[in-house]
Amino acid sequence: MPLLEIKNLKVDFFSNGARLRAIDDVSLTMDAGETVCLVGESGCGKSVTALSIARLIPSPPAHYPAGEILLDKRDVLKMSNSELRGIRGAMVSYVFQEPGASLNPVFQIGSQIKEMLKLHRPKDATREEVLRLLALVGLPDPELRMANYPFEMSGGMQQRVMIAMALAAQPRLLVADEPTTALDVTIQAQILDLLKHLRNELGMAILLITHNLGIVGDMADRVAVMYAGQIVELAQAREMLRRPLHPYTKALIGSVPKLTDGQQRLTSIPGTVPSLGAFPPGCRFYPRCPSARPKCATTMPELVEIEKERWVRCLYAEPNP
Amino acid sequence: MTLLEVANLKVHFPVRYGLFRRSRHFIKAVEDVSFTIEAGETLGLVGESGCGKTTLGRTVVRLLEPTSGSINFEGSDLARLSRKQLRARRRGFQMIFQDPYGSLNPRMTAGESIGEAIEIHPLLAKEPATHARISELLAAVGLEPAHAQRFPDEFSGGQRQRIGIARALAVEPKLIVCDEPVSALDVSVQAQIINLLKTLQQTAGLAYLFIAHDLAVVEHMSHRVMVMYLGKIVELAEAKAIARNARHPYTQALIAAIPVIDPDSKRKRIVLPGDVPSPIHPPSGCPFHPRCPMAQFPRCKTEVPALRQVTTGHWAACHFA
Repeated sequence: MPLLEIKNLKVDFFSNGARLRAIDDVSLTMDAGETVCLVGESGCGKSVTALSIARLIPSPPAHYPAGEILLDKRDVLKMSNSELRGIRGAMVSYVFQEPGASLNPVFQIGSQIKEMLKLHRPKDATREEVLRLLALVGLPDPELRMANYPFEMSGGMQQRVMIAMALAAQPRLLVADEPTTALDVTIQAQILDLLKHLRNELGMAILLITHNLGIVGDMADRVAVMYAGQIVELAQAREMLRRPLHPYTKALIGSVPKLTDGQQRLTSIPGTVPSLGAFPPGCRFYPRCPSARPKCATTMPELVEIEKERWVRCLYAEPNP
Repeated sequence: MTLLEVANLKVHFPVRYGLFRRSRHFIKAVEDVSFTIEAGETLGLVGESGCGKTTLGRTVVRLLEPTSGSINFEGSDLARLSRKQLRARRRGFQMIFQDPYGSLNPRMTAGESIGEAIEIHPLLAKEPATHARISELLAAVGLEPAHAQRFPDEFSGGQRQRIGIARALAVEPKLIVCDEPVSALDVSVQAQIINLLKTLQQTAGLAYLFIAHDLAVVEHMSHRVMVMYLGKIVELAEAKAIARNARHPYTQALIAAIPVIDPDSKRKRIVLPGDVPSPIHPPSGCPFHPRCPMAQFPRCKTEVPALRQVTTGHWAACHFA
């Protein structure tokens, strides 16, 4: 039974009287203990999708005209505020890109973690539990560090504290939104290792949002590629990285420099990502697609399962022989 | 032909505190750095945040004052020139910045920004910034002549970076210092800018000092690569030699920390413990010894390793390289 089932989700934003569709017909399921990566460039809707799972975007401005987000069979979109409080933290917890901006600068980190425990597991709101959580996320010298203020810590340590806070309520799904983008590459490796270790230890599902395809190769069981508010390819990570089927996925993989490929020219994608409200009719990738044909300009392709567990939104995608 | 020769460059920043704002400590941002750049060559500079790579790049074009050392550019020592002499020399070297949003005047059109570079320059001031010249520069960076009339907020990030490049090209420099020119851009656009910089190098014979934190991007762009850690060069070699046969344990760890797309890659993982130490109190001996998986004591803790030639053209600062 899936832990999370997003069905035909649509999200609109109202801006200056106009109604802009940020998410258009996104469907995604996740099983318990699974790691799924959501990949795409800025503005593709990956963060909006992720934030919608615990309804973290205030509405208005967000509006949900259609779709369901079933978390353990209950529809998040139909929940009252008090029901939402019940699932936030306990069912689904978040880690964001900038740990420095997410922590409260005027409280010691130990008391910030304890506050989470008081809300979710009042009986366990003890110094010992805080120390256990800090040790779990590999913070060096937890005894000393729990009295630190966020500014006394490096970015990597702050991100470990954020993860400890997210784990405090023992969530079944951890949503990590670009958790390592603000960190140096050696620190990024530490945090990715920690997430892997925690997944194996605690059996949480992880929805990892990233623009870095290397992280997908390193972490993901399955991957969904988003472009202009839609999922364009959804597949097992190994399969997709080995032989991408959607032209956008192909181009995205080709545009990343790899360390040992010499200095061959990168396959850049011409133009830029279309902005919200200015999506082209037909296929949204059509104006930038190297293999576009006339029909692409007028017909919006559906996301079809062209092989087992292999979904592609392209009129001309074919399964590999 | 050697275009730029930097010798024993040091940049120290005083840390002032106390009643009389006396400086008792110095941040040794750049410590005894020497290198050369040939005409038409790209020298890559890679390192984590705080390693001094941006300080080094800015000092080379003398946006920052060196504490000691020399910067020989086409026969004159930039470190010793007066402001007035320096202005005349600046035609030879230009800079491209990371943030294409912050480095363009929002009240000037793209054409005015590019034209300003031509008009204020002492040696070029007699030639007016003609439409033809601006159109030519815009075309060189892949923009349309009509774009000259637009303001920065009407462009995407990638287009703004193109304007920044056109502005640098306007005075026909021989060297461009590129400080993280692609790290604020989406991957598909990043590939466009990397390809553009490579094309311009071939057509105009430019030399680059290419600074970035992403080793794969640097390796892709550069002929030779220089790795910095805590203000010092720890390794300098041909790009291919760095990627395939890194000799310094820090470079090896940097390479191992890059998440790779290929799901079948069988490379060993090295996850470095801890953070980069503070440059105010750098560790004794080899600055990398507290994080180094190969450190041997007491030698690494007491003896500073010199940057020495390990094989022809391959330099490393490690006792055991």
